[in-house]
Amino acid sequence: MIKILISTLLISVVSSLASTVLKAAPATPAMISGNADKGEALYYNHGCYACHGYNGIGKHNLANDVSGIMMSEAVYLIFLRARSELNPPLPTQRMPHYPESSLSDQEALDIYAYIRTFKDTPPEAESNATMRAIINSAQSQAPQ
Amino acid sequence: MANKRTNTPADKGNRISRRGFIGASVVGGATTVLAPAALAGSTGISDKNQPKSTPPSEQKMEREVGSSVPPKPVQSVRRAASDLMVQVLKDLEIEYVALNPGSSFEGLQESLINYGDKPNSMPEVISALHEGSAVDMAHGYGRSEGKPMCALIQGTVGLQNGSMAIYQAFHGQTPLIVLAGNDEHNFLKVHTGEDIAALVRPFTKWDAQPETLEQTLLALQEAYRQTITPPCAPVLVVLNSEIQKQEAGDLQVPIYSPPKISGISQQQADSIAQNLILANNPRISVGRLRTPEGINSAVELAELVAASVQTSATTGPMSFPQRHPLVGPGSNNSYDYHLGLEKAAAQVSITGPDLKSLIERDVAGVRFGWKEDPTLRRGPKPETLISADAEASIPLIVSAVKEQLKASIRKSIAERLQASTKENHVFRMKSLRQAIEKKRPGWNDTPVSLARMYAELWPLIKDLDWCLASPTHFSGRHHRELWDHDKPYSYLGQFPAAALGYGLGSSTGAALAARDRDRIVINIQADGDFNYMPGSIWSAAHHKLPMLIIMHNNRAWHMELMYVQYMAGVRGRGTDRAHIGTTFRDPYINFAKIAEGYGMKSEGPISDPKQMVAALKRGIDAVRNGEPYLIDVLTQPR
Repeated sequence: MIKILISTLLISVVSSLASTVLKAAPATPAMISGNADKGEALYYNHGCYACHGYNGIGKHNLANDVSGIMMSEAVYLIFLRARSELNPPLPTQRMPHYPESSLSDQEALDIYAYIRTFKDTPPEAESNATMRAIINSAQSQAPQ
Repeated sequence: MANKRTNTPADKGNRISRRGFIGASVVGGATTVLAPAALAGSTGISDKNQPKSTPPSEQKMEREVGSSVPPKPVQSVRRAASDLMVQVLKDLEIEYVALNPGSSFEGLQESLINYGDKPNSMPEVISALHEGSAVDMAHGYGRSEGKPMCALIQGTVGLQNGSMAIYQAFHGQTPLIVLAGNDEHNFLKVHTGEDIAALVRPFTKWDAQPETLEQTLLALQEAYRQTITPPCAPVLVVLNSEIQKQEAGDLQVPIYSPPKISGISQQQADSIAQNLILANNPRISVGRLRTPEGINSAVELAELVAASVQTSATTGPMSFPQRHPLVGPGSNNSYDYHLGLEKAAAQVSITGPDLKSLIERDVAGVRFGWKEDPTLRRGPKPETLISADAEASIPLIVSAVKEQLKASIRKSIAERLQASTKENHVFRMKSLRQAIEKKRPGWNDTPVSLARMYAELWPLIKDLDWCLASPTHFSGRHHRELWDHDKPYSYLGQFPAAALGYGLGSSTGAALAARDRDRIVINIQADGDFNYMPGSIWSAAHHKLPMLIIMHNNRAWHMELMYVQYMAGVRGRGTDRAHIGTTFRDPYINFAKIAEGYGMKSEGPISDPKQMVAALKRGIDAVRNGEPYLIDVLTQPR
């Protein structure tokens, strides 16, 4: 129980600190030591796409460095490993555990390198015909 | 071996056993009408006392495959008994009977297709390729229209094939009538039983196994009454094969009397009306009502007192129009009187009977999913909970409000209406912009983003009469913020029993409802769900149903994939093997080709969003011209 509590706390602190640092610090290129090509296959085979989408946009977005956890390899690895100490009684749809017995450090860093290649450039709502049509349709129902 | 009959708990009180039921009716004349209570129950039979089945003989098997003449000559009749059964269905305005053919209802089927001035019309026979599909069609139709259609299926085997779909409709509290043929004498014994309704009794509301034509006609009428009376749920009539073929003689169809569904008392209506009128900021939460008429009454009530409204229209059918000016938080969220109509509310909740009231039919004690009432689980606990049908209660409250409303109060109500309307629109636009901001990411992704799929659909259908028939939980439910759910059938809701194999059949049923009403049906079809009973594709093509199927093809039972993946992680091994048994890889399934094989126009697989937009336009055009269409879209997982 204590182990779980510590792990939970650690994840929470890492996530929170990473987000804070990411927002406050100027963007500096993080070291990327993994192989993105190998990471692409691992990202698919280990099911990262299940929640994060094939291109880093999904239930939990990774593209465009939106996650503080991705700010550095070290933070990412701490997050990944700390979770493996958690053993909830039932499987859920939360972030799965990736202990070293499932995914080696090198494999994890390859995935990290691949994730860092994700870039998403969606159109702005006002410049997209579909989104504009949806907004205009709603606006047209404004009370007189 | 003599069969020992044992009464179920449901047979006690005002219910009678099957023998009692028979005895009560045969003494009457040809036009005798039984009291509804006499039809209210069937006999449960102890399993251990059931006769043992034996394998079919060779002759019987030959009869089944059509290579042998029936063992008993069929008499020609002047006036077929099954014609009267069809007349009852016509009088009840049953539009469709979805059937999977069986050798125990050829009498009724012949009447369905040949009897009357306009044979095979009201009801029209719909060909289903599986009994589950037939029941799912009736389920989708019932959710869409708030009234039943029939599913006609064969004896013990058809009933068991259809049982999962009946179970789903039961938890969906949907009105539908299952008719099961039963040939006790001249047929495969394994297709028959003495009390075949017992197979589904724990998850049906009512059943009957009439043994005369008069009883059958009355049972069909009672089935209709039962299924539309809350709690709405599937009902079953077992139709004796021999009775269908009898001479009806001068027997007349009994006069049908609709059920009396009671609401709250006049005193309660007066009190609620007074509180609504005196409140400075009243609110009404509307859940799922029974019929479109109920929605109209709810709208009238909300407008009379200018209450802000919370609707369930984005989670299921038969609720308050989502874009009505009163829907939203209102000018402020300090509500001083909160009324719930089939929904939890702070002061008063009016909630009709739920499925718990049928628990006595669960004679085997399975206790399928009996938990707390989900409608009350998440909301506030009301000061007063009134057990009464909300839809039947609203007109009483409306009348009471009209009587009590004084001119002095009308002015403040008008002012509140104006303020609420304005604030609700501001709230809506703010929510919409926030929603779009969340749906922008991944817009240009390949495979297609599900948010974009829903967004691109809306401008194409917004000016049409549409029904989103498929469950959308797995595809992100993006319609909730982007689309306008203003009709009773705008969205038919989730899988009521969370069981797959439902979306395609139920959407086909919704398309039956849509076909002659200048409406189209959108089915965003999960790939895993599709594969259970794909035969509805053929039914939709054959009957030219206006259904656009857009595959949410993520090539997996994706939720289960994530569960196994998580479990592997917990155990620290093989997270790269979670796809085993959870995905459709090697080979991939080509849904467009499946549709083509069943005779439905289709295209795909498509993974480029720009191609998808063009395909959606083609699909909408086809459906508007009365042709179902399938687009196989490769999507992001969620």
